Amino acid sequence: MIRHIVLWILVIGLVISFLPQSLEACPACKNLNEPIARGFNWSVLFMMSMPFTVFGIIGGSVFYLYRRTNRNLKT
Amino acid sequence: MMAQTEFEMTENRPLSNAKLAVLILLGSETMLFSGLIGAFLVFRMGNVTWPPLSHADIELPRIVTGFNTLLLIISGFTMFHALRSIQQNRKIFFLLLLIITGVLGLFFLTIQGWEWLKLIDKGLTLQSSVYGAIFYVLIGCHAVHVLGAVIWLAIIIGMAMSGRFSSDSHIGVETCTIYWIYVVALWPILYFLVYFA
Repeated sequence: MIRHIVLWILVIGLVISFLPQSLEACPACKNLNEPIARGFNWSVLFMMSMPFTVFGIIGGSVFYLYRRTNRNLKT
Repeated sequence: MMAQTEFEMTENRPLSNAKLAVLILLGSETMLFSGLIGAFLVFRMGNVTWPPLSHADIELPRIVTGFNTLLLIISGFTMFHALRSIQQNRKIFFLLLLIITGVLGLFFLTIQGWEWLKLIDKGLTLQSSVYGAIFYVLIGCHAVHVLGAVIWLAIIIGMAMSGRFSSDSHIGVETCTIYWIYVVALWPILYFLVYFA
């Protein structure tokens, strides 16, 4: 099983190494200096940060409350 | 070692199911608003002139909305102190603070609606331009949340009047307070973004 995984990683790595092609990832962002492209960039960065912020705050709150409850139970 | 009773297990739980549900709800609300703010950023930064030239004569009512923001922030404090009051079993003070919070929320919605009517009269509508569309969708979405919070608070006031809450049992008040404070905390961000950016 592990040999298969290693083999596939090697094959994918070789393909990526020998076939480098540049692609336009975003059809809207032709020129990064245009206002609309900057708007898209900031919007994407903002929205990308939100899942981490949300899960961080909820996860952090749950973790903090568990720690506090355990500490109270021990004392 | 004695097995814990169901009561003890509930007492020792760090986070109640109701509070966890509200946290998840607020997480999804945050994603909704971040999507709308993301759209606003695209339109705002994509336009060199903001408001667009077609709406250059329209000025958003910053001072009245600033006053409205103050009302909402005060309502956040009164709601927080209402929760503190029921935790200390001060029921009359608790009910009074809940009513004040509700009235402040209604004032906020009324002033918001009155502002909107004036803006519609000036020609800024949902269909008039991207500027109008993003303004009404973003601010309107928040107003709907305030309305939801006011309805929730009205239910809590009704329950409080029938003596359903005490210092030992007030999870309904806690969840409503979390939601209310979230709606209050969100508004200054939207206000500065939409009215000043």
